[in-house]
Amino acid sequence: MNPRAVISDVLLGIVPIALLITLWTALVSFGYAPAALLPPPRVVLTRLAQQLFSLSYQQEIAATLFRLFTGFSIAVILGVIVGLAAATSPAVNTVVRPLVRVLAPLPKVALYPAFMLLVGFGHESKILLVAADALFPILLSTYSGASMVEQKLIWSAMAAGTPPRQILFKIVLPAAAPSILTGCRISLVISCIVVFLAEMITSTDGLGHVLVTAARTFHAVDMFVPLITISLLGLILNGLLEGLRAYLLRGFPEI
Amino acid sequence: MMTARDALSRSAPFLACLGLLGIWQLAALALKTDSLPTAWEAVRAVPSILGDKESLVNILASLRRMAIGFGAGVMVSVPLGLTMGRSRGVASFFNPLLMIIYPVPKAALMPIIMLWLGIGDVAKILVIFLGVSLPVIYHSFQGAKAVEEKMLWSGAAMGLSAAQRMVRIVLPAALPEIFTGCRTGLVLALITMVTSEMIARQSGAGNILFNALDMGQYDTVYAMIIIVGAMGIGLDVAFESLRRRLVRWSEPGFDIPIGFA
Repeated sequence: MNPRAVISDVLLGIVPIALLITLWTALVSFGYAPAALLPPPRVVLTRLAQQLFSLSYQQEIAATLFRLFTGFSIAVILGVIVGLAAATSPAVNTVVRPLVRVLAPLPKVALYPAFMLLVGFGHESKILLVAADALFPILLSTYSGASMVEQKLIWSAMAAGTPPRQILFKIVLPAAAPSILTGCRISLVISCIVVFLAEMITSTDGLGHVLVTAARTFHAVDMFVPLITISLLGLILNGLLEGLRAYLLRGFPEI
Repeated sequence: MMTARDALSRSAPFLACLGLLGIWQLAALALKTDSLPTAWEAVRAVPSILGDKESLVNILASLRRMAIGFGAGVMVSVPLGLTMGRSRGVASFFNPLLMIIYPVPKAALMPIIMLWLGIGDVAKILVIFLGVSLPVIYHSFQGAKAVEEKMLWSGAAMGLSAAQRMVRIVLPAALPEIFTGCRTGLVLALITMVTSEMIARQSGAGNILFNALDMGQYDTVYAMIIIVGAMGIGLDVAFESLRRRLVRWSEPGFDIPIGFA
C-alpha cells in the first residue's frame, strides 16, 4: 500500500471518532443533556488524568491488574498443556473434546456465585472466573495450531533420532506458536473485561468497584473514568502482546 | 445406518454433562459444606424455580430481551460488516472506531445507560445489542472480504447492480462466516444478559441468582446456574443444527464458539 493511501485511511478512520466526541460535546454544551448525566469530555479527561496520579486510584488499578494477570497466567498454562495433550494424544482428545464442547458455550459468569461460595469473596473467586473465561480461546487455538503441524516435520525429526518428548518442544510447540499467541491475545482482552465485570458484581476494591460506587452516588464523571481506564488497559495490553507476538515470530511466514 | 461409534460420538457431549454432574456430586459428598449442595439437590430444585410463576415470568422476560437485542444486533451488524468487507473506504471509516470499542466491557455500560434511559427494557436491550454487534460485524467483514473477485465480475458482466451483487453473491458466499459470528454473538447475548442483570439487580435471571445468594438459598443458586448453563449449551446446540441445515456445504474452522462479555 502506498503511503498516501495509508494517510487517507487513517484520516478517514479519525472522522467517526471525532464526530462522536463533537456530538458528545455538543449535546452537553447546547444543554440537550445535563452535565450531571453526561459530563463533557474535557471534564472526564481532566478527572482521568487527576485520578491516574492519585495513589488510591493506582491501588485500585493494581488490584485489578493482579487478578487479571494471575487468572490469565493460569489460563495460559492450563490451556496450552491441555490443548497440546488433546492434539497429540487421541485418548486425551476423546475426553477433552466433549467436555470443551459443553463448557465453552456455558456462560462462565453464571458460575461466579458458585466460585464465591466455594473459594470466598476475595481475590480467589475473581481470579477463578478470569481463568475460566480466558481458558477456552487459548485451549482451542493451541489445539487447532498443534493439530495442523505438518506431519512431515515430525517424521523428519523422528528420522533424525529426536526422542518423542523433544519433538513436542522442538517441533510441535514452535509450529503452533502463532496460533497459541493469537489465542492469548483474544483471551487477554477477555480477561480485562471479565475482571472488571466481576469487580462490579461484588468487590471491595478494583476498577469495577470504583464504577459501582460512583453509580450508587450518581457521580457520572467517576463512572466514565474507570470504564475508560479498563478500556485503555485492554488496548495497551493487546498492543503489547501483539508486539511480543511480532518479536517472537520474527522470521515466521505471515499468518 | 448409525454405527455404535457414531452413536457414541454423538452422545459424547451428553455424557460429558453427566460426567460433570457426577464429579460435582462426588465433590459435594466429599466436602460436605453448606456452600456446595450435591448435584442431585440442585437438579431437584430446578423444577420448583421453573414452576414458580414469578421466576418463570422473570426468566422469560430476560429471554425476550435477549432475543430482541440479538435480532437487532444481527440486523444492523450483518449489512454493516458486509459493506465494510466490500468497500475499503467504509472499512477504514469504521475499523478504528470498532477497535476502540472492542476492549470496552459492554455489560459495564449498564449503570451509565440506566442513568440515561431509566431501568426499563430499553437499557437492557441496548446493552445486549452492543454485546452482540462486534463479533457479528467482524465475521461478516471477514466473510465478505474473502469473496472471490471473479464471481463479482461475472455478476457485473451479467448485469447485476451493486446492490444485487451484494444480496445474491456476497451474502451467500459470506454466510458460513456470518453464522460463525452469529453463534459467538448468541453466546455473548446470553452472557451480557446475565451479567447486566447481575450488575443492575432489577429483574431477570441474573437477579434471581444473586437474590438467592444473598438469602443463603444455595440450592436455588446452583439450580439457577444449571438453568443458565443449560440455556447456553441449548442455544448453542440449536444454532449449530440450524447452521448445519442452512450452510451444509461448508465446514467451520472452529466448531466451538469463543464467547466473552
